[in-house]
Amino acid sequence: MKVNEITNSALGETVFEAKHPSGLTVLVMPKQGYSTSYAAFAARYGSIDNIIMKADSTALSLPAGTAHFLEHKLFESEELNAFERFAKTGASANAYTSFDMTAYVFSCAGHFRESLDILLDFVSKPFFTQETVEKEQGIIGQEIGMYNDDPGWQVFFGLLKLLYPAEPVGIDIAGTPESIAQITAQTLYECYRSYYHPANMALAAVGDVSVQQVLDAVDALPAAREGAQPAKRLFAPDYSKPEAASAEKQLAVSMPRFMLGFKERMSAAQLTAKQSVLSSILLDIIAGKASVLYRDLIAGRLANPGFSSECFSGHGYCVHLFGGDSPDPQAAAQAVREKIASLKSAGIDSANFERSRRNLYGQMIMMYNSTDNLANALVSSHFAGQRLFDEFEACKAVTLDDINQRLEECFDENLSTVSIVSPLSTA
Amino acid sequence: MQTQPFVTQSAPGVRYCALETDRFKTGQVDISLALPLEGELSAGAALPFFLHRSCNRYRDFTLLNGRLAELYGASLTANVKKTGEAQVLSLGITFVDDRFALAGEQITRECAGLLLDMIFDPYLPGGLFDAAAVEGEKRILMERYKSELDDKRRYALLRCSRLMCADEKYGSNPLGSEEGIRAISPLSLRSAWEKMLSTAVAQITVVGSGACGGLAQNLAEKFSFAGRQPVLPETLFIERAGQTRRYTERQPVSQGKLVLGLRAGMRNEEDNAPAIRVMTDIFGGSTHSKLFTVVREKMSLCYYCFAGLIADKGILFVQSGIDSEKSALAEEAILNQLDEMKNGKITQKEYDASLLSLSDRYASVEDSSAAALQWYAAQVLRNEIKTPAGEREKISRVTKAQAVEAARSVTLDTVYMLESEKEGVHEGQ
Repeated sequence: MKVNEITNSALGETVFEAKHPSGLTVLVMPKQGYSTSYAAFAARYGSIDNIIMKADSTALSLPAGTAHFLEHKLFESEELNAFERFAKTGASANAYTSFDMTAYVFSCAGHFRESLDILLDFVSKPFFTQETVEKEQGIIGQEIGMYNDDPGWQVFFGLLKLLYPAEPVGIDIAGTPESIAQITAQTLYECYRSYYHPANMALAAVGDVSVQQVLDAVDALPAAREGAQPAKRLFAPDYSKPEAASAEKQLAVSMPRFMLGFKERMSAAQLTAKQSVLSSILLDIIAGKASVLYRDLIAGRLANPGFSSECFSGHGYCVHLFGGDSPDPQAAAQAVREKIASLKSAGIDSANFERSRRNLYGQMIMMYNSTDNLANALVSSHFAGQRLFDEFEACKAVTLDDINQRLEECFDENLSTVSIVSPLSTA
Repeated sequence: MQTQPFVTQSAPGVRYCALETDRFKTGQVDISLALPLEGELSAGAALPFFLHRSCNRYRDFTLLNGRLAELYGASLTANVKKTGEAQVLSLGITFVDDRFALAGEQITRECAGLLLDMIFDPYLPGGLFDAAAVEGEKRILMERYKSELDDKRRYALLRCSRLMCADEKYGSNPLGSEEGIRAISPLSLRSAWEKMLSTAVAQITVVGSGACGGLAQNLAEKFSFAGRQPVLPETLFIERAGQTRRYTERQPVSQGKLVLGLRAGMRNEEDNAPAIRVMTDIFGGSTHSKLFTVVREKMSLCYYCFAGLIADKGILFVQSGIDSEKSALAEEAILNQLDEMKNGKITQKEYDASLLSLSDRYASVEDSSAAALQWYAAQVLRNEIKTPAGEREKISRVTKAQAVEAARSVTLDTVYMLESEKEGVHEGQ
């Protein structure tokens, strides 16, 4: 395997990149002085991938929550399950499913190679039976119940459902008790064949690891998979207006919580590194802790210090969102909208831009402390068609003109809406 | 990589503990101040939050946060928690290491200085805290106090812990009470600040490249004032539960939460701690534990079911999210696993897995700046600083028989169930 070495001297970090004959991308980042390691083996398959394209070009629809269900079930095997196998190495193993990827991970302070072999092996060997699928429905049913009571989760999905009523990004990652009841062992095998193709996957290892160690382990994988093609994603931009100006749900909480979101008209399936960086800087200027808006919302009792913002984006979706607890969510959302409108008319001044850029520069450096953040960022940036250091470099290069242009791109009033979770009415 | 921390007594009741390493790209400093968990707690609880929003040099948090952004995104944290029967107030700062400064700024020195300023040099117009700022902080603290309702897992745990320890100081909320929060005034906050400086047992913890060298000396000077008399908070340990108490609460939630509160048989924080840790891990520590493999994987009763030891109070809690109708079944399944251990049914596989997993977790602490900081800062009340390597060594010597013996000393004190009301969740547009 040819190994590509990418070094960022400002950060003092190097990533080694290789492509296995099967199509699998391998990313390794040794960290000086670390005695632990973290590995992530991921598929470019998340909750937004809700169809399988068949060879005859017909599409098979998947029940909501299938990617997440598959993640749970892949830990099973004919003999010992993956957790039992990791118990013999001492590694802590886990997995997660997001909108656009599924990752199987472990961290360890020793026996790295043995744990890596287990990771590669169990993810490569699906074993599903109808009986174990049914058993998992009870466990995931409880997981869904837990999210139903979580105000943060509910306010977020409330927003996505309004902004993307017809898109899979508006569907809960774990699905519903009804949707997961439709999943069979057969569904899982079909998804596996389509989405867990090596060319649709990446392996990242960070910490006390060597490139050779990882490549040796990967060498044991089959060079190709017969008769299957990796799944492809289509980009069908959604510019439709939100379903409603706001929506409210009641839960047993202490005070209302809101999330205001602006859907972006995307010109390509993914944001570029430069666009992501500009969004982060922009949000810090608008609503960061040093902003006038943040101060005024708190002083005006419209928010508390937990008020925050985020650029949420992935394949085919991008939302700039603002949220927190507020006794008057509509007034808080209005204050944010007015702030954005005034910035749009006045433009952003260079002192604020430089300060927020510097803030982001420091926060990006801090990310390079953590082996788990890095391994997950290595696979997700690879799936987004980028490289890990791209954003760090973009942060140094962006200009005031860039930021003012980005401000125009991502805050369209017509594509914004508010989701609210409020306390149960006592009436 | 394991490193020995540098530890020195800076002033009476004030310790400086630094883990010097250059493997991180950051520096982190924490100051933890411990007070007895008794009397009026709310003004003390407001302090770290209030203090971390301004200081005499940067008189409101917009100015302060502007400065932090210029310092390459340095961030401040404030927290109030219980450690045993102590109310621990903490302030912390995280910043990038000096080697990343683009114009040669001394980020570490500046940030460490800022943190000391927050505590020792607050903005005091007319000798008191600013009245409007105090009112704002009271509102925020009240919202924090009430927000415990929002996270049901945490809420159920807090409820169980308070009911179980209702007759002990441990049953107190470290934020105090609604009345206490309402009563906070610029004067009471100033008194709480003075009390904290003169009586708290304190520790400053540093993890980073070591450029904080002057900090130990600064700290010694700041804390060396006439009239300082540190008071060491003490914790009551109850070895065995009396008759099991049961509480059920109903809320319109989708999932029920079951919490079991148990006494671990400890007479102090050190009492048989390694064996109790190993036993707790076999019982419900991770994915190799009895609770995970039986209650979740075999019986499909829950998504999570785990046990955690609170060594500084000698209690352990089992938490699980379940269908409300299955609470009796889940409780029985959990207690059966405890009984199995009491009856000596710990397999070699379970024992080996726990020892290996605990050892791996201890060996991982110092590879994370945040975890290392937390490990050392949490020891503010201990006489001797423990290292992860030392604890790892103690765990490695625990035998299976000792783990069984530890299980036999565990008794069930309180069963708390947050039950789902059938009306369910109301939805509307």
